[in-house]
Amino acid sequence: MDKNKTRLIAQVGVAVALATVLQYVKIMQLPQGGSVSLQSVPIIVMALLYGPKVGMLVGGIFGLVEVLLDSYVIHPIQFLLDYPVPFMVLGLAGLWANKKVLSIGFAYCLRYLAHILSGVVFFGEYAPAGTNVWLYSIMYNGSYLIPEAVLTAIVSIWLWRQLQKRGFSELAQ
Amino acid sequence: MLDGITLGQYIPGESLVHRLDPRTKIVISVLLIVLLFLVNSYSGYLLVGLGLLGIIALSGMPLRFVLRGLRPLRIILVLTFVLHLFMNEGRELARIGPLVATYEGLHRGILMTVRLALLVLATSLLTLTTSPIRLTDGLEALLNPLKRFGMPAHELAMMMTIALRFIPTLFEETEKIMKAQKARGADFESGKLTERAKNLVPLLVPLFVSAFRRADELAIAMEARCYRGGEGRTKLRQLKMRAADYWSLTIVSVVSLVLAVLF
Repeated sequence: MDKNKTRLIAQVGVAVALATVLQYVKIMQLPQGGSVSLQSVPIIVMALLYGPKVGMLVGGIFGLVEVLLDSYVIHPIQFLLDYPVPFMVLGLAGLWANKKVLSIGFAYCLRYLAHILSGVVFFGEYAPAGTNVWLYSIMYNGSYLIPEAVLTAIVSIWLWRQLQKRGFSELAQ
Repeated sequence: MLDGITLGQYIPGESLVHRLDPRTKIVISVLLIVLLFLVNSYSGYLLVGLGLLGIIALSGMPLRFVLRGLRPLRIILVLTFVLHLFMNEGRELARIGPLVATYEGLHRGILMTVRLALLVLATSLLTLTTSPIRLTDGLEALLNPLKRFGMPAHELAMMMTIALRFIPTLFEETEKIMKAQKARGADFESGKLTERAKNLVPLLVPLFVSAFRRADELAIAMEARCYRGGEGRTKLRQLKMRAADYWSLTIVSVVSLVLAVLF
């Protein structure tokens, strides 16, 4: 078996564990109930180090591990939009290697969209017609995602530099 | 910051439900979710609810414990009920100021709230009675047939297993580094957003560097033991479908089919 593949499997596994642990390091508790944590930092760092494919892999597996540990499934589409999808799209932060801030911003926009849609699907199914679900979903999800995006972008780019300096990105492609 | 956190919901046990093959339990959970979307009447939900109570009784877990899983959802449950009660058109039941509660609203509200609660109970039964590692094994086995379409079932399961194995280790490590840096005066919980980002550096750099180092050591250990992917790999604990698995699958499918058709 390819040596690099084993190394990648190990690194992805450990990065997912790191993301799971960091979601409990709450940097900010918002009054509306959302909270800002560092859970996305390992996903973004892996995406910056190895590109969007690996980033999406880390995000997708993080979503699956979340499902095994602690999940709420109340609708099949809500399940997809809450667990694998938002974290998989974060992996797209590795898309444009020389425009890092733009890539991370783009990935976060897609994640925001997934969470908004999940809220709309949920309330569309469980709330009566006529409730303004779009506005509520946009406001609630934005309240924690926007600060998280700023924090994660700063921290991730910084960490990516540190890890590269220490030679952790030497996977021959 | 990290005190009093329990990871995962699994409660070890020796009951019939615990000992079922994880594949059986995953399939049954999916069946129950589909069933709950097909059934749409009081009697239907009552029967599914009784079925779930039966499974809980078989699993030997105290009911109180299982119902605790609904607690984080209590606001959503109440909200769903109240929204339906007041926002449906129909015959007037009661009036509070400009808000009119209707009989139709009461009816829809009860149905939707009960469905929501039953869905959460059905899925949490799976994670309550099956350890994450066994769930991963089950998932790998269920995804295996998709291998020929390019689904890397083994690799995915391997990464999930590594993640599950390293969560407690990295938890301890995070805690240790946080305490060490706090003792040196680090502050992780106040200041503006950009200041906080800067304050996190002394936590994250050592944490990431040591985590990546662990991953490299793990990869070397795997190589040294001749790890070469899924083909021909054997397992210490084999998944095995027993009579009880086939029975429970048959019973749940037949009952679900009958309920879906009749209610």
